[in-house]
Amino acid sequence: MHRRTAVVGVGESVYYKRGGAKESEFRLACTAIRRASEDAGLALADIDGFVSYRDERNTPLRLAAALGIRALNFSAQTWGGGGNGCASAVAIADAAVGAGYADHVVVFRALAQGQFRRFGQASGATLAGGSAAFTAPYGLASAPQTMAMDTMRFMHEHGIGQDALAEISLASYEHAQRNPRALRYGTPLTREDYHASRWIAEPFHLFDCCPENDGAAAVVITTMERARDLHKPPVPILAAAQGLDYRASVGAYNAPNFPTAHYRHVGTKLWERAGVGPGDVDVAQFYENFTGPVLMAISEMGFCEPEELDEFVSDGNIRWPDGRLPINTSGGNLGEAYIHGFENINEAVRQLRDESTCQVEGAQLSLSVSGPLAAPGSAILFCRA
Amino acid sequence: MRSILPEDWTLPAVDELNEAFFTSGRILLQSCAGCGTIQHPPEEICHRCQGTEFETRESSGRGTVYSYTVIHHPAHPKLAQSVPYAVVLVSLDDFPDVRITGNVLNRAFDGVSIGLPVRAVWEEIKTKNGAVYRLPQWEVVE
Ligand SMILES: [Zn+2]
Repeated sequence: MHRRTAVVGVGESVYYKRGGAKESEFRLACTAIRRASEDAGLALADIDGFVSYRDERNTPLRLAAALGIRALNFSAQTWGGGGNGCASAVAIADAAVGAGYADHVVVFRALAQGQFRRFGQASGATLAGGSAAFTAPYGLASAPQTMAMDTMRFMHEHGIGQDALAEISLASYEHAQRNPRALRYGTPLTREDYHASRWIAEPFHLFDCCPENDGAAAVVITTMERARDLHKPPVPILAAAQGLDYRASVGAYNAPNFPTAHYRHVGTKLWERAGVGPGDVDVAQFYENFTGPVLMAISEMGFCEPEELDEFVSDGNIRWPDGRLPINTSGGNLGEAYIHGFENINEAVRQLRDESTCQVEGAQLSLSVSGPLAAPGSAILFCRA
Repeated sequence: MRSILPEDWTLPAVDELNEAFFTSGRILLQSCAGCGTIQHPPEEICHRCQGTEFETRESSGRGTVYSYTVIHHPAHPKLAQSVPYAVVLVSLDDFPDVRITGNVLNRAFDGVSIGLPVRAVWEEIKTKNGAVYRLPQWEVVE
């Protein structure tokens, strides 16, 4: 439990449906970063590091020049196939600032799927190599298709019903109704709508799947010491973890612990480092690529046994304001916007500044869990200063 | 000929490691020459003894459906005429830790479920530039 560094600023662009952004992805990135530094009370020139994930196109080289950064001291990004990197990117900034490599590090993600390749679209390449050679030729060519296989086995092994998947989607949509930033603000979802929606890849209905959107989100990390002179109350990082179980990254569904969302090891390390347990968490954001993998991550992070998931997520238990563990309180990937999960980092921070539109009263511990089923998993736990 | 997906759909990029699996017309698994460890998909190095010499072990090709999905939304225009189609994950009876992905050729998309007994069959595919694949596929054992 370290509290050595803190988030001191959060910012985002306007979020758009895919193709809705008139400005370029790079300009969206600049907007989110400018707003995060303004929120912190810092000049853009004071930013001296950038961290992102998953082959972020808007590089620190271009950003540093375009934003007039006085001197760049640090840049990095994580490995991994997708939104598994949100929390580990923040953890890299935490490590860099803690080590003194940089003073004010921006962690960000910009993603305009209307301007570049859509995540939901298969490449349709003539040849597939690596572990995809064993799956793509059989018609598993996009994330919902490949992740449906893991989820179907998980549901079978633990007796999980379709309504448990629905609960994740319904919670996100319900919370989005209170958040004016959310793309689904004003368009509620009913259980009937969910079940009536078309299949994408069984067991995923349309409303189990994240949308493709345009936007950018960013935070600024600095030391607790420097944070005291800035605008907003700092939100300290209590602990973070990333990683994998033994050989869990073996491809084509051959990991020894298949099916796994890659959160058992992450959970163990996170709670060990934080000195608290899942029962102590007041509010949590879980990256929804698809609803089923969120269920896997909830149980692997230690909130309940897989057999208890149906009960854990039903009866309003994960909904604000009365649920035992409100999740995805801004609407998350499904309801707010799919900014590759980074909007969930911003929301986890807002919960500890009393700025959420579904504010958990007096929240002390706020968790953000990154993309499940993409490896390595990562999670971060923030606390109140 | 491909029976589920279109003729011009993605094929495996064949390399030294996976050539036996995709072209032999048998279920050949990578086995470490030093310690006998089976690994699938094949890798450059044995995860148990770090050996780099390999042999193959042949499976009987009998297996059980371990998981499946039915794809309804075509993720690529080439798949538009193929949906809905089922994709299965088969656990081999003689190497139960090995799981192989494929399609079921003798059942409709809604005729697959976890636990079905299956056996391997092969789809022979000749590409325009003369490459020959024998893709492992599956049939439900009636
Ligand atoms: Zn060996």
